[in-house]
Amino acid sequence: MSLALSCLIPLYIVAIVLYAVRVLKGPTVSDRVLAVDALGFDLAAFLTILSVLFRAPIMVTTALVLALWIYALDIYVAKYLESKEMGD
Amino acid sequence: MIDLIAALLMAVAAVTSIVFTYLAVVEKNLVQAVVFSAVQSTMYALIYFLLMAPDIVLVYLPVGVGIYPAIVLLLIKKTDKVDE
Amino acid sequence: MLWETVCSVVGLILVAVGAFCDIAAAIGINRFPNFFVRLHAATVGAIGGAVVPTFGAGLIALGSPELGNYRFFVAGVSFTTGLMIMILGQAGAHALARATLKAKAAPLEPCVHNALREREEVRGE
Repeated sequence: MSLALSCLIPLYIVAIVLYAVRVLKGPTVSDRVLAVDALGFDLAAFLTILSVLFRAPIMVTTALVLALWIYALDIYVAKYLESKEMGD
Repeated sequence: MIDLIAALLMAVAAVTSIVFTYLAVVEKNLVQAVVFSAVQSTMYALIYFLLMAPDIVLVYLPVGVGIYPAIVLLLIKKTDKVDE
Repeated sequence: MLWETVCSVVGLILVAVGAFCDIAAAIGINRFPNFFVRLHAATVGAIGGAVVPTFGAGLIALGSPELGNYRFFVAGVSFTTGLMIMILGQAGAHALARATLKAKAAPLEPCVHNALREREEVRGE
């Protein structure tokens, strides 16, 4: 079980690096925030898998906090864009 | 095996956070600099997680991803968007 | 004994499916042409790449008896995180798309079919 989970870890690392590439070269603000959104949710799932793999049950709570605050960042930028559209 | 995975993940997260710190300093558009800073905070949270410090992660994530971009975006809304 | 093995195998399959969806979404978010098409890839990454492996990790924790009584704690937090991502990913993507369309912050360049503009034209007549 532990060996099979360890073989799946590099796929998640590659996915996170590819999301980071889109954050690097996204032309607009919306592209970058969308990539940060997807990166954060995938990192939350990854932290859950790591805490099962490391056999450290207390560390699973960080995934819940990460998912909730990444959503908050999304809403902040959306509110900024809409308020700019209204003309302050 | 576990130690090797943790060391590899820490290396990837550290290199990525260096790149995003440089971009957040250099970038002229301030909203995009805020997004880069959020990515850097997320990568530091991953490093703290791998160092087996979940209490630091629980404090660092709300400060780095939640409160700091909120305050900086409120400031940018009242001033110019592009740094001179 | 039997249901622990079944939980572990089903959880491992779910984690593998999540890894595949994650790679597919990461390639798609790099290859798609504009912002409104990239929303599709990001939503695949949120549901297939985050909700499914989180449920899988919870099932693996339920099926591993060496965690002791803490396995129910890990499973509960995992299922809660999966449900939260299932709600919040779609809500965040929709809020961002609506704000971007209203503020015209992203180009709508390779546009095949725009149903929203057609409906506005019909209503305007």
